[in-house]
Amino acid sequence: MTLPRWPIVGRRPELEVFERALGSGERAGLVVYGRAGVGKTRLADECAGQAAASGHPTERVAGSRTTALLPLGAVVALLPDQLGRLGPDGQVNAAALFEQTRQALHDRHRGRRLVTVADDMALLDAASLALLGYLSAQRAIFLIATVRTGEPVPDLLTDLWRDGRLERVDLHDLSRAHVDTLLHLALGGPIEAGAGQEFWESSRGNPLYVHELVLGALQSGALVERSGVWHLEDHLPASSRLLDLVEQRIGGLPAEARSVLELLALCQPVELGYLETAAPAGVLESLEGAGLVTITVADGQVRLAHPLHAKVVRAAMPKLRARRVLLAQAERLAASGSAPSQAGLRIAVWRLDAGAQPDPAVLVRGAQLARSAHDFRTVRRLIEAVPGEQLDAVGALLLGEALYELGAFDAAERVFALGQELPSSEHIALRLAVTRAKNAQWGLCRPEKALAINAAARAVVTSAPLVEELVADEASVLTFSGHPDRALAVLGRTAGGDQRTRVVRAIAGAIALAAAGQTAEAVALARAGHADHVALGDEPAIAHPAMHVVNQVFALTEAGRLAEAELVAMAGAEIVAAQRVPIAQIWFAVNLGRVAILQGRVVTARRFYAEAAGLAQSSRFAGSRRVALSGLALAHAMLGEADAAAQALAERAAAPAFGFLGPEQHLADAWAAIASRRPAEAAEVFRSAAAEAASTGHRLSESWLLHDLMRASGEDVSGRLRELAGACDSPLVFARARHAAAARVRDAGELAGAADDFEALGAMLLAAEAAGSAAGAFSGAGDRRAATASLRRSSALAAACEGAATPGLFHLATVNAAAAAPLSGREREIVLLAATGMASKDIADRLYLSVRTVNNHLQHAYAKLGVTSRAGLAQALGSAI
Amino acid sequence: MTPEQITLVQSSFERLGPDLPAMTARFYQELFERDPSLRPLFTTDMREQQVKFAQKLTEIVQTMPRLAELLSHTRALGARHVGYGVRAADYQTVGDALLAALAGTLGEEFDPATREAWVLAFNIVAETMLEGAASARPIGS
Repeated sequence: MTLPRWPIVGRRPELEVFERALGSGERAGLVVYGRAGVGKTRLADECAGQAAASGHPTERVAGSRTTALLPLGAVVALLPDQLGRLGPDGQVNAAALFEQTRQALHDRHRGRRLVTVADDMALLDAASLALLGYLSAQRAIFLIATVRTGEPVPDLLTDLWRDGRLERVDLHDLSRAHVDTLLHLALGGPIEAGAGQEFWESSRGNPLYVHELVLGALQSGALVERSGVWHLEDHLPASSRLLDLVEQRIGGLPAEARSVLELLALCQPVELGYLETAAPAGVLESLEGAGLVTITVADGQVRLAHPLHAKVVRAAMPKLRARRVLLAQAERLAASGSAPSQAGLRIAVWRLDAGAQPDPAVLVRGAQLARSAHDFRTVRRLIEAVPGEQLDAVGALLLGEALYELGAFDAAERVFALGQELPSSEHIALRLAVTRAKNAQWGLCRPEKALAINAAARAVVTSAPLVEELVADEASVLTFSGHPDRALAVLGRTAGGDQRTRVVRAIAGAIALAAAGQTAEAVALARAGHADHVALGDEPAIAHPAMHVVNQVFALTEAGRLAEAELVAMAGAEIVAAQRVPIAQIWFAVNLGRVAILQGRVVTARRFYAEAAGLAQSSRFAGSRRVALSGLALAHAMLGEADAAAQALAERAAAPAFGFLGPEQHLADAWAAIASRRPAEAAEVFRSAAAEAASTGHRLSESWLLHDLMRASGEDVSGRLRELAGACDSPLVFARARHAAAARVRDAGELAGAADDFEALGAMLLAAEAAGSAAGAFSGAGDRRAATASLRRSSALAAACEGAATPGLFHLATVNAAAAAPLSGREREIVLLAATGMASKDIADRLYLSVRTVNNHLQHAYAKLGVTSRAGLAQALGSAI
Repeated sequence: MTPEQITLVQSSFERLGPDLPAMTARFYQELFERDPSLRPLFTTDMREQQVKFAQKLTEIVQTMPRLAELLSHTRALGARHVGYGVRAADYQTVGDALLAALAGTLGEEFDPATREAWVLAFNIVAETMLEGAASARPIGS
């Protein structure tokens, strides 16, 4: 029994969407979305058939477990005969290859768009997706893509969809009437009442179910025709699983038919001419009649009718037989002398699938394509398939970089070390050294090793531009290991270099300059570096272009341009999240946390730092995680969350030391001590961290640490801050210095001026604290009106600080609490000190009082505030803010 | 469809007898009420149009049991409708109008089983007309 071609029913509206999309010329493609078996493949093929009938050229590409083994394996049919050449640094130029492919398609089809069915997009490799994206954007192809419900939609499709370049249809199960029509047209006549009902109930409107049920029932003899009416002699299979249905049907086929299906499942499409000689007469016809294979007359290719058939056939196939078939087909194709690039890729895919050794050159080429698509997993798999003795320096570079990107830092180090032993060009040798150093610094968190690798390479490399690049790289290692002073010294000794060197210099220089207080120059350098990097393109062994934007955010922050820094960081974070660049995502989040801390938005800061810590953990950047956890502890501590701060610090202790922003990381320890009411310890941490910052050229960090020391303990830091203000160009440092100078002499007007400065920068917490001090100073000078105004202002500013609980804000709490039972001036003074955890003895020393007097005042204050202990006091003050 | 349903379509159609022109007129009335934008597509004399429609419908109902013959009618008919810019969505409207006209003319005789049979018959006709239309309509670019 041979049926006519299986009809398509109930899909006319969707086909009309396709017609309009292709005809309009404005769309790049159509995506067909729906559950397994709903008819996505059938619809896509019908679309292509209609296009072909109207004279459009058509092509079909399909992902599978097999084609996914090698980049571009799925789109072999689209590729030109010759694949792109390698550049001088051993990298394949994907952009050139894509353009070459477009040109070849344009020539081959005389400028007509190639209607290309891409079945099961989720199974396509990254390089294939990138190529399809390029070709459809360039209007070389009209893409018809199928995506199964619940599977990830590739970025390519979401991008096209967002730009309005893509039509989308969602396929649903068929209605009862459509199933009836489908049966009627497929069988060519009426069906008895009970049978039609049974098909409907078993299939529940899923077209592939109907297809498999009907053809299975015909094969088993359960469905028979008598005098023009179809009867069901036996019940349909009870199983409700589609897979079982297909298995039962294929399991019942004779051996010669099965072997044709097996060949197709492994190697499809296969030329009709070959199959006709390879299979006994009649087998192909019966398979076509059974709806298991489709034959495209136009290109003479045979395929399985549905991806599910391929899956079932492969699963049931003994491994050894699969291997034999794959190797035999690879041999046949190698002997046939067809187009070299396409055949080469196919042969490589089949040999890989068979577990046999493909040509290492093909593997390396494939890895380079995967690398250009940032598909590091595939790079790793392909290069690891190259036998050890055949691995060359280019392969080692690719593998080492992929391992680094995948967070396997120790393995990356071993591969780089091996690669440096292999003969290579100077270019490759340099890339190996630079990438190995990057892995040592960011992955292994061993900057001294990175410097040693850099020095060793300097001893070998002779070409001047390459030496320049190594020098720039040394500066980069120094900057990101906490030595901006040494980095600037190294950068000062060199100048010029090619574009690539300028990019590396910018990455190192922008951060070092900002840390040292030359913030205007730092912002300019970060911008120039980004422009250079974009012009250069995304090169290996160099940071991602977005890192210049991160640097710009850092420099803007240090320049006190907080609002601008926040805007740039938000925009950048969105882009790198879409592109999935973990290292840039981490550092945008860290910088957003820094900005928020300085703005006094401590809850916001807590959120960004927590996000950064999570990202760093999942991408295994332990050093970056350390910085993020420091920020998280800092935010917790400033919120008065002592336990959570201690918890974050405990987590941080498990990460290796990391020099970048080293002094600043101690802010966390100091503030955690403040939150736990250990003020002496906090002051000590601030002092030693400030000294460390001073000795390494971190002027901005030093000013931050000293200013916080004053905020927490009242210690006079005005002298050093004045020096720092003279050495930096940042209004943030100026405001800190002004605040400290005013506090030293309790100059009310100057304290209010410092509050103005902080507020103008958007540093609301610092402004609130300075305004509070101004209120105290006005009050002390007897100017009650100015004192009240400053107090009100301090309250208003503190309202923007998301519940910050810093010692500098305690005055507000006292004022609020005292509104009910006014504290005397002396009582307030002593309470404020006691609330920071200071011992009565120390308070007595500072205020030139006896310990007994201090305790008396405290007891009175406790009574007024309704508390009984120091802890209760802090709590009462904290909650009253 | 079951053989019984085909018979039901044919017997109910025969029962229309002299009321066929009235049912046809009613069909167009129902159709234009549902979608007035279809009205301008019919440029010929409406009486002539109704006669043509009745003839086609009779042909289709008569060939219902013989699928190959039916398809040669419906595919050609669909292809002829391409020029009017008729789309899949319009067929839904046409089907609804036809069922309403039949129900209005046949009254109680148009019972649920008869209605079900007509729904399935119309679906086969519409699907195959659309198929004929698609193959007669080249996709421009």
